Amino acid sequence: MSRREEVARLAKLLGLELDVESYLKAVEECAKRMAGGAELRRRNADWAYIESRPEPLRTALKLLVETGDVKLVSAVTGIPPETLECERIEARIPRLVV
Amino acid sequence: MMSLAVADTCFLINWLSFRRWEGIFRLFYRILLPSIMLPELRSRRVRGKIEELVYRGSLVILPRADYVDREALRIFNLVNSTPGLPRIDEPEAYGLAYAALHGLPLLTDNASPKVAARSLSSLRGVVVYDSLDLLTLLYRGSELRAAVEEFMSDTSIIFSRERLREAGVEL
Repeated sequence: MSRREEVARLAKLLGLELDVESYLKAVEECAKRMAGGAELRRRNADWAYIESRPEPLRTALKLLVETGDVKLVSAVTGIPPETLECERIEARIPRLVV
Repeated sequence: MMSLAVADTCFLINWLSFRRWEGIFRLFYRILLPSIMLPELRSRRVRGKIEELVYRGSLVILPRADYVDREALRIFNLVNSTPGLPRIDEPEAYGLAYAALHGLPLLTDNASPKVAARSLSSLRGVVVYDSLDLLTLLYRGSELRAAVEEFMSDTSIIFSRERLREAGVEL
């Protein structure tokens, strides 16, 4: 099954009226703009700050550098998103807005 | 001035860290924060600011409603089943569904709601603004450039080259 068919099937299953072509085009553009995000975060992060934080915050911040996803890291570590977002700012971990 | 907008928690936290954060209330008379997002806000500093905004009537906490939940779940499933799109969490999907059902703008720096809003008929009419959109609505020319630099410095948010080009900002 092609990606187009897969998305169309999912939208139908969910009862959503979706312009599949424009959706996939926008997804592709978004993925292109997000590429290199992990490298950007690794390069700009304040590693001394990250290493200075107690556990489990230290590991959470390292995970955030790799994924860039505050809410995913929050769900995995149990640290509230707001704490992570404030720590992200302190640790100079860039959030890429595309 | 637009009257109301629904905001995502991370978006609000970042704006409250920005030295010119009050500017957002030149664009929106009142910001709506779904109550499903409240458990995400725990620190005394942020909660203190939120309480102050609620007290002065600039921020309203939205009650949770079943009919919004149903739409939010469908958006949540579609976005999170699409490889290449940033994840959307439940509270953000709720905010997007609420904004769409009530014809309000949504404020978020996550790209997924913008992508979904362009292609889903149930989201037609919802306008999704990210931080750069708000900065371009608030400032012009050299002041915009200065505000973007300050925003990036205060929040560690980086706007992609493409977004800056679209907004006509050269750094």
